[in-house]
Amino acid sequence: MEDQEGKHGKPLKDAGEAIEELGGPRFVRVEVNKPHADRSPGTSGAGPLELPRYERGDEVATRDAYGEALAALGTARPDVVALDGEVSDSTRAQFFAKEHPDRFFECYIAEQQLVAAAVGMQTRGYVPYASSFAAFLTRAHDFVRMAAVSRAGINVVGSHAGVAIGEDGPSQMGLEDLAMFRAVHGSTVLYPCDANQTAHLVAAMAEGDAQSRGVRYLRTSRGAMPVLYGPDEEFPVGGSKLLRSGDDDRLTLLAAGVTVHEALRAADLLAQDGLPVRVARPVLGQAGRRRARTGGAEATGCLVTVEDHHPQGGLGDAVAEVFADGRPAPRLVRLAVGNMPGSATEQEQLNASGIDADEIAAAVKLLAEKVVVR
Amino acid sequence: MDSEQLIQLGQQLRVDAVRAADAAQSGHPTSSMSAADLAAVLLAGHLHYDFDRPDHPGNDRFILSKGHASPLLYAMYRAAGAVDDEELLTYRRLGSRLEGHPTPRLPWVDVATGSLGQGLPVGVGVALAGKRLDQVPYRVWVLSGDSEMAEGSVWEAVEHAADQHLDNLTLIIDVNRLGQRGPTRHGWDLAAYTRRLRAFGWHTIEVDGHDVAASTPPSTRRVRPPGGPPRSSRAPARGAASPPWRTRKASTASP
Repeated sequence: MEDQEGKHGKPLKDAGEAIEELGGPRFVRVEVNKPHADRSPGTSGAGPLELPRYERGDEVATRDAYGEALAALGTARPDVVALDGEVSDSTRAQFFAKEHPDRFFECYIAEQQLVAAAVGMQTRGYVPYASSFAAFLTRAHDFVRMAAVSRAGINVVGSHAGVAIGEDGPSQMGLEDLAMFRAVHGSTVLYPCDANQTAHLVAAMAEGDAQSRGVRYLRTSRGAMPVLYGPDEEFPVGGSKLLRSGDDDRLTLLAAGVTVHEALRAADLLAQDGLPVRVARPVLGQAGRRRARTGGAEATGCLVTVEDHHPQGGLGDAVAEVFADGRPAPRLVRLAVGNMPGSATEQEQLNASGIDADEIAAAVKLLAEKVVVR
Repeated sequence: MDSEQLIQLGQQLRVDAVRAADAAQSGHPTSSMSAADLAAVLLAGHLHYDFDRPDHPGNDRFILSKGHASPLLYAMYRAAGAVDDEELLTYRRLGSRLEGHPTPRLPWVDVATGSLGQGLPVGVGVALAGKRLDQVPYRVWVLSGDSEMAEGSVWEAVEHAADQHLDNLTLIIDVNRLGQRGPTRHGWDLAAYTRRLRAFGWHTIEVDGHDVAASTPPSTRRVRPPGGPPRSSRAPARGAASPPWRTRKASTASP
């Protein structure tokens, strides 16, 4: 059967004959050479973790917080390594590279190699953070998928999320990344809305052994946004936060990342019009392990999700899954990026996609006046 | 092992691949057999690995990039005494560790394979760790098929390995000429692979993948070309009778 086509992926028709032709079963036992070195890799030099601290009200991009927190984590943990797809000045992995050049790996514009190298390094006990634009990580999805099959513990970081990147336009916008990572077995998806939250999540991503970590994805934003939380706030992976609430809230806005700030502004606008709404930041959950949590937001009877992502597979879907267990579901409305963006400023982009404060407020008014019965 | 023993070992790996796939009534025995002699030479002559201690920091790493040839991998484990004959025949059965494509459910498998074109890129990551982080002189061996050399990710890895002077990485390409549906793009044209790899700065050696003496490189560990990237070898497949086998070993040259 040598060199014959049509034999791929099939057992032999007459295995007994083939075995006989090959000389029958044998019991050759190989004494495999023993390895040379028996010393463990050096992981000395651990220090205390001193995460960056940001003051409430300051304007800081979450990608900056990522880079600064990762550099700090690298000082505390010698097993932390960083890899980047030749955009470390954008993802801010350069902050790590500058402080820990021996543990920084430039992978150039080769996202498959970027993720593959991270997978390879975690087999040796390292805790890799691999970063590129969220948009371009889609290119490595097969490697991310196989990382899950490999029970690998890798941290992947996608910057420049959503239409909020502004003028660069749709080719640079990560608008499918949440769907992509949420669908990976055992994954955890993190999308912080402020710098202190980002810093704490960066540290939390390194906790646990590789198998318990799985594929962890952190989505960061290009533009600066106000710091909402104090530096000593606790941000457990899987925690959700109610950001604004009152007794008379008509509905709840659920937002993540940049849209948290838009939702808070929308709530201000609506309050001026006598329409109180609640604002919560849900967590996106862990695939196959833990569903999203809405922080009790369903108490208002109507939920409006607002996300800088396509409508499929992102925040809206994560929230909808919460109510897929048969319990009475509140009215769910989702605001997401349904248009094809062009070039524009950040605020113009958010407006055109219907997810800025004005558009959120307009949608809520429509709901409150026409749809929501209370 | 002498040449005769290596030949016997290669035949054993073939037989076991056939037996495992026959017991499962599915699997890829032919893809396993084409690389059986290469695997025999690697296992008996070059791999440094303590099967009792898969976490040994000095262990070489072996990545079967052509993961569909899992019967070959499991036959190697049997030959090394890590898996017994009874378990070998549980291949592809519900609950068995011997899955259709290898996964880390087996303690000697570091990464799952089966999505082609991933073994070398991941091997580059392991080799980078060995060279720059662990600084332990283990070697990373990647056995890949010829079909998967069409994957773009392979060439990302080839370039990265050369750029990073990963002389602790060896790629073995099993050039069996056959893809899933028919012939591969380059068929038996070993020179086509060599030209490409050399252009990226790799050392390449062509060997007859069924000649166990020829497949034994004179030096795998001794020679570290200054800044030289990995070696790769490619071997044509073998069935029963065959044209003159050409196989190559390619090790990288410094860029």
